[in-house]
Amino acid sequence: MPENGNGFPLRVNGLTKRFGGFYALRDFDLQVRKGSIHAVIGPNGAGKTTLFNLVSGTLPLDSGRIEFESGVLNGLRPHRRTMRGIARTFQNIKLFGQMSVLENVMLGQHCRRCHSLSKTFRRTVFHGPFREVPQEREMRARALEQLAFFGLAEKAHFKATGLSYGERRLVEIARALATQPRLLLLDEPAAGMNPQETEELDRLIARVRDRGITIVLVEHDMNLVMGISDRVTVLNFGEKIAEGLPSEVQDDLAVIEAYLGEEETL
Amino acid sequence: MLDEYTESLLVFAGINIISAFSFYLPFKTGQISLGQAGFMAVGAYASGIMTVKFGAPFIVGLLFGGLVAGIIGVGIGFPALRIKGIYLLLLTLGFAEIVQVVILTWDYTGGAQGFQNIPFLKGGLYYIYAVVLVLLVFFARLERSSLGRAMVSIHEDESASEVTGVDVVRTKLLAFGLGAFIAGLAGSLLAHYFTYVDSETFNILVAVEILMFVVVGGGGTFWGPVFGAAFLSLLPEFLRWLRDWMELIPASWTAAFPLNRTYDFLYDFLDFENEKRLIVYGLIIIVMMIFRPQGLLTPDSVRRFQFLQRRFSSA
Repeated sequence: MPENGNGFPLRVNGLTKRFGGFYALRDFDLQVRKGSIHAVIGPNGAGKTTLFNLVSGTLPLDSGRIEFESGVLNGLRPHRRTMRGIARTFQNIKLFGQMSVLENVMLGQHCRRCHSLSKTFRRTVFHGPFREVPQEREMRARALEQLAFFGLAEKAHFKATGLSYGERRLVEIARALATQPRLLLLDEPAAGMNPQETEELDRLIARVRDRGITIVLVEHDMNLVMGISDRVTVLNFGEKIAEGLPSEVQDDLAVIEAYLGEEETL
Repeated sequence: MLDEYTESLLVFAGINIISAFSFYLPFKTGQISLGQAGFMAVGAYASGIMTVKFGAPFIVGLLFGGLVAGIIGVGIGFPALRIKGIYLLLLTLGFAEIVQVVILTWDYTGGAQGFQNIPFLKGGLYYIYAVVLVLLVFFARLERSSLGRAMVSIHEDESASEVTGVDVVRTKLLAFGLGAFIAGLAGSLLAHYFTYVDSETFNILVAVEILMFVVVGGGGTFWGPVFGAAFLSLLPEFLRWLRDWMELIPASWTAAFPLNRTYDFLYDFLDFENEKRLIVYGLIIIVMMIFRPQGLLTPDSVRRFQFLQRRFSSA
């Protein structure tokens, strides 16, 4: 394993997270190759979402080390990590329901621009109180572009709550991409999507990867995972039980047991 | 130009609008404060000390009052970061109580006798509406800025907001501190218009009234607090006007039993010299919470209005 981190932007070492006596993650290691799609799979409660929460900083870790590119992430607040280039989506979609789809995506650009109070006010003095300032127009145009990438341009002015489940997922990914990440964490993006939408998502994720963005994917939909992932890590009860190419993992006995073990005992 | 009565009415409405703004700004980030009356008191006393004890001009006192309130606001904002909802309400309420006790026992500013002989501000009405105007411009701009969107996103979902790259701590502190600053301005203007303040000027009822301005007007757009404050400030006037009309009803119509009692009751009820306005406030709140919990004005209604305006101007 290369230690300089050149080819592996995300490096997780000895990650442990406990909830009381329950180990959500135990001594977990992960290396994600630059520009790849890395899937993390496992049965319910295996610790996949916990991994995302630790990497994105919404949960504090108990022990271990998370490195991204040339820096250590331990102890950084979530927005700092976003500014360093990590974006994520949530398993249960977290869009801002009172805002329009467009505003949701525009908020993603917030961290890439300076928005101090004095600037907000100074711009007022020079541009009149009710006219749109150039910077705002720029952000709007950019957000529209991003929505067009996901085929949602005509729904830009809908309330976020007024979209279908699949569309809301896409908006969340668009919002994450608006933060200009180099690493994108997708938490079950295909959950609740119909097969057509899943297929569409498949292509979109590949296109995002082609832009040079590294993707870590937590997923239940095995078809999606096997189709597009370059590498798969399997978690069970907070521990890594297998890792490798999709085809290797598929035939791994421990994996089959973890997924199907209960049925065998029937 | 204006008679004294109308002027004092407009002054009240203006100060109420400013204090409603001071509640609205932290509310934008989801922070509900019952301490805005406390910040008003801080602003009033700080500016009063500046103008009375140091002979500073009013403008210096005004800014000083706002600044002191703002700094204390940021100080209160830190513990407020970690707590939400009803607990934050209690924290801010506790702060307002502390301010009241300090005022009551501080002999330097008159203690229980109140702060007297604050220089009267000539043309106070214009100062007040100048501040209202500046705040209107500020909020109009904030509503359409990235910072404003960031504030709304914190209100909606803090964890999603910080993962999207919003510095939640900084933004919340900014909103809370600036809200306190605005409250300080309101208190300072009030002190220099009435030339006398004491601990009772800024009691808990004032805080509740400020809350009502925003709840009734609507907390989703900055027009809400403006409308709510103006509406509730002028409501007693409207009721008085109703009362005047009642007097035109011929006495013979209301001579018989059920009507005469009803008439007397209503006539009494519409008398707003006393605390009965609180009954009406209470009724309004109850009715609002049932039929229009989002407030009279929502972002949608503002948008609809702008749409009509555009059509009107293009036609």
